[in-house]
Amino acid sequence: MSIEMMTLLFFGTLLLFLVLGLPLAFVLGGVSVIFLYFTWGPDAFYLVASQMWGTMESFTLVAIPLFVFMAMVLERTGVANDLYRMMHLWWGGLRGGLAIGTLGICAIFAAMCGVSGAAVVAMGTIALPSMLERGYDKNIALGCINTGGGWGILIPPSILMILYSLITGVSVGKMFAAGVLPGVLLMVLVSAYIIIRCYFQPELAPALPKEERGTWPEKLRALKAVILPILIVVMVLGSIIGGITTPTEAAAVGVLGALISAIVYKKFSWQMLHEASLRTFKLTGMIMWILFAAHAFSAAYQGMGAQALIEGLMTGIPGGPWGIIIAMMLIVFLLGMVLDPVGIMLITLPVFMPIVTSLGFDPVWFGILFVINMEIGYMTPPFGFNLFYLKGVAPPSITMKDIYGSVIPFVAIEIVGLALIMVFPKIATYLPDALF
Amino acid sequence: MRVVHAFIKGVTRLNDGIGRWISYLIFAMFVFLLLEVFNRYFLESPTVWTNELTQLLFGVYTVMSGGYVMAHREHVNVDLLHSHLPPRVRAGVDIFTSIIFFLFMAALLYFGGSMAWESFASRETSYSAWNPAIWPVKMAIPIATFLLLLQGIAKLFEDIAIAINHPSTADSSSTTVPSSTTGDRS
Amino acid sequence: ADTIKWKVQSHWPSSSSSYQDSLVRLKKIIEERTDGRLQLDLFEDGALFKAKETFNAVGRGIVQMGTISPAYAQDKMSLAGIASGLPFAFRNVWEAAYFHKNLGFEDMLREEAAKHGVYYSTDKVYPTEMVIKEPVNSWEDFTKLKIRSSGAMQKFLTEAGAAASYLPGGELYPALSSGVVDGAHWGAAQGASSMGLYEVAKHHVKPALNIAGTDAFIVNQKALDKLPEDIRKVVIDALDEQFWFRTNEYQYQEQIALAKAMEEHGVKVNTLPEDVQARLAKAAQKTWHEEAKRSDNAAKAVQQLRTFLTDLGYL
Ligand code: NA
Ligand code: NA
Repeated sequence: MSIEMMTLLFFGTLLLFLVLGLPLAFVLGGVSVIFLYFTWGPDAFYLVASQMWGTMESFTLVAIPLFVFMAMVLERTGVANDLYRMMHLWWGGLRGGLAIGTLGICAIFAAMCGVSGAAVVAMGTIALPSMLERGYDKNIALGCINTGGGWGILIPPSILMILYSLITGVSVGKMFAAGVLPGVLLMVLVSAYIIIRCYFQPELAPALPKEERGTWPEKLRALKAVILPILIVVMVLGSIIGGITTPTEAAAVGVLGALISAIVYKKFSWQMLHEASLRTFKLTGMIMWILFAAHAFSAAYQGMGAQALIEGLMTGIPGGPWGIIIAMMLIVFLLGMVLDPVGIMLITLPVFMPIVTSLGFDPVWFGILFVINMEIGYMTPPFGFNLFYLKGVAPPSITMKDIYGSVIPFVAIEIVGLALIMVFPKIATYLPDALF
Repeated sequence: MRVVHAFIKGVTRLNDGIGRWISYLIFAMFVFLLLEVFNRYFLESPTVWTNELTQLLFGVYTVMSGGYVMAHREHVNVDLLHSHLPPRVRAGVDIFTSIIFFLFMAALLYFGGSMAWESFASRETSYSAWNPAIWPVKMAIPIATFLLLLQGIAKLFEDIAIAINHPSTADSSSTTVPSSTTGDRS
Repeated sequence: ADTIKWKVQSHWPSSSSSYQDSLVRLKKIIEERTDGRLQLDLFEDGALFKAKETFNAVGRGIVQMGTISPAYAQDKMSLAGIASGLPFAFRNVWEAAYFHKNLGFEDMLREEAAKHGVYYSTDKVYPTEMVIKEPVNSWEDFTKLKIRSSGAMQKFLTEAGAAASYLPGGELYPALSSGVVDGAHWGAAQGASSMGLYEVAKHHVKPALNIAGTDAFIVNQKALDKLPEDIRKVVIDALDEQFWFRTNEYQYQEQIALAKAMEEHGVKVNTLPEDVQARLAKAAQKTWHEEAKRSDNAAKAVQQLRTFLTDLGYL
């Protein structure tokens, strides 16, 4: 059977069982097993166990439970709620102000953490209920967390950028530097969208009624709420930039900060710790079992000959060099709907990079396009990590359909951002050129 | 039927109980990472064991979560169609899709077991500077898979009971832990 | 005639020079000499199996061939520790090559691998060298270093008096850049430059920490036996030639990479002072001694090494 047919069957089966409601982790794992049997033989099931072991051994993932734990402690302390109350008081008149505040917190989280999952779970726990409580439309609330939560891989540090560098040989430092301005650009674009949309449809993100906006003394007192979050950010970022910790170890510093906050808020108790640890365990387990199976799934797909498919697709594309770049982006976008980013990188980059460099394009610039596209992949249905992580923490009233639907405008905006960086490569290359 | 009901309850309790203990590993990971930072930065003498031990604990922590997460029905799925089905139809669909689940579990149990056994037979160590035994962590794969498999069987029994309309076994509290005891948001 | 397809799991990412120069080269030679009757499907680092799992996968015959660092097969081969490099043993690459091929070390490795159904063939011998942020001019400078290391080398550096810690490859660049560590070894000049380390650490340390057969091919014995006689001979001959060709070529590439790093990033070579070298060589004896204790085979290999180095006038 041709690889094209296999691909259709493989992803078709994935979709079928997803729609039938089997948990994602089991769909990915089970479908891998079926296809390994037919393409490779039962001995290859060893691959599933072996990929699982490989994922268990990945030190950089240790950041996930720690950042999730940090978020769970912060939620229990009430810091998060105070923070949103403060933002509401200060930006009460600005429609969509809380969503923009959320995006800002996402960007800070992205600078503290190199992986995406922890940020989505943390923001889904802290920001989502806060926005929903204050009457925000669920599409706006879900969409901005989905988008902002994915910035962890674009704003340095970023594990995916390091992987891109390992596969392609591009400097990690240049990639890190190149991610900063595009991160700012996306933040501006998404904020602008929210401001404009909510200006015309105030019911989506209601402003605080005038009489509730508070007096100046009240506003100033509410500012207290930012002290502890800022302390945590300074502790985490300071320890990364100051050479005290690696990005993974910095997650533990974040937990320390959260525990200090709990003590300051007089919310510290064994019961609180116990509850936070149980929820952390549940969420980390949910994330990690998806990762276990997703890694097996993309390894199975590679074993079937995915790279040959990409090589085939790349021959005979019309439209010259730009046609080729756009085709590559399209392929990555489509793969992003059904595969995990690490798998996509391993499958496509060895084929793409020689072409990109021979056409004379800057591999750093291409890397940024690629990473943004991966970020989009995190939130495109049917299979996107952020979507499922968010589902895992969202209140029961939020369905998968809500989450799927909420991302559409945000995906469109990220594509606009991607196009802008394509047309104006300087946005990505200015900083690395200036620094290195 | 009473035996089945007892089995479902027992498995769910087992997974919940084990999960509660394993969940505390987060404190150990937190402490060891901070300890390493402290030793390296302030004492200028990094240890050979903290980061590696953290990583091994992380492996156990994540893989052992499978059964616990399932006992709490927290493995996320797509509910586009699923949640709108009448309970008996949904149970039927779940019985059908469980084939995929059991295939995954069987592959993991057999080959995870084989991998762990090989590791145990050679008393495999990591050959890092610290060089701890890693076979116990590999052993966690088949153990965790077995626990998850049990929970899957419990769920299958429950679905069958719903499908054939046998309410006492299908008592919905039997495979989901009541949220009041878990400290979870309800 | 039927074409035979082998899956080959590499431990090199495709950006590594060895992926092209060792693996793709071997693929081309084998496919050319067998008129395409044996084809190699290459998979880069981690695509099907992680580097540490590749020996198991090849032994089980799930993939027919792989590349590894012998350090990943230590639980299967008692000589793997010696193969992946005793510190401060050889001073020149040719000595390591001679020890492997002319003094029978490679045969000993093959015997151990054969017990697991694996045919073992070293790709090349080459040095492991360190890059650091500040030069070492005295023993005191050395003991102040925080070095990113791994495995036996981490133990050796710690015992020698530096502060060596393990960080995964992905954390290496940020850690070196922000100063979490002051130095690291990742192969030698080519490895350091592939990881971008010269951007943040400008001193390349000589002499090498070790010189060893750190890259190797492994082939499933059953798959090899199943090949028609003439194809099997092509594979085995190609692997044998590969060792000499790549060992030599790699030295050339190392020098080019170092020259380029000096030109483009202002990297300087930091030759360790005599007394530092002497103290390190002395500390290395403990590591050798420990490796020798691992098995009778290991004891024999270390003894042969001592004799060889004594003959050369180094001990
Ligand atoms: Na980040
Ligand atoms: Na997606």
